[in-house]
Amino acid sequence: MILGWVRLAVFGFVALSVVYLLVSVYSRSTRREALEKEFDAGGIEGDRDDYIRAGMERYQHGLRRKLILLVYVIPTVVVGILVWANFQWG
Amino acid sequence: MRYVKWGFWITLAVLVFAFFHYTLPQRDIVRIVGTDSRRIDVGENSIFWARPEVGMADSANRDVFFIRAIQTNGRPMEYRNEDTGWGWPPYFKINSSSLQTQATSLISTEENPKWVAITHYGWRNNFFTIFPNATSVRVVEGPDVTLIPWMNIVILTVLAGLLFMLWRMWAQFRERMIDPAIEDMGVAIDNLDARADQARANARTRWGRFKAWLAGTGRR
Repeated sequence: MILGWVRLAVFGFVALSVVYLLVSVYSRSTRREALEKEFDAGGIEGDRDDYIRAGMERYQHGLRRKLILLVYVIPTVVVGILVWANFQWG
Repeated sequence: MRYVKWGFWITLAVLVFAFFHYTLPQRDIVRIVGTDSRRIDVGENSIFWARPEVGMADSANRDVFFIRAIQTNGRPMEYRNEDTGWGWPPYFKINSSSLQTQATSLISTEENPKWVAITHYGWRNNFFTIFPNATSVRVVEGPDVTLIPWMNIVILTVLAGLLFMLWRMWAQFRERMIDPAIEDMGVAIDNLDARADQARANARTRWGRFKAWLAGTGRR
């Protein structure tokens, strides 16, 4: 028999990784779309592809991409609080 | 066909509602009249029972704590008191023994009632012999206090937010990936059509047929 919390941790990690993947793809997509719209609105010098590539490069090192890691952090904290509360109370 | 469609959506709505009604916490105001534990052989109704306490062997035959109570309208109600541990539903309840102790200390009589709010999930049903699982108990001022289900409000709001997010993600995916692909396909089909028309027009004359034949050999 597998320990209960290990099983939860493994399946939880897999499920949250799927969520992380989906959210990061979505976030990149919206960023790229915003960059395209910015360029197409006019007033920006240079090549469209270069502008978007530079913007995505900035996104790659930006804060927003790191915030997606909260997908892992928030559920873990919530579960931790629930277990701790039940333990304290018990 | 219309009835099938409606039937499908109504069934789905009922299932979703039943799922949340079963799983989300609810609070009853009751007076506890007794606590006990008895041997249970879980059978066909096993999905309505939780599991042995955390760390104990997995067995369908086990002792389960029960809390017996009288509701404000005078009707009886029974709760089971089982650990949910690390499994479903995610209450992470590991303190069934302590809860049993607390419930026992709150036993009161009809003459001198001590009203408590029992938080629980699940349903009481005599046909399946199933009991709601109590998760916590606390003393309230009287039988007619109003309790606002903050927990459910928060949970349902978060779930609605997640659903909205999922819908936004799907819409973005469709706009950015599927629609352009269909557009490309449409353009390709149009091109194909145009070429076929050209070929048909050419085929009307002998010279055209010869040219088409030549073009064909060149491509091969």
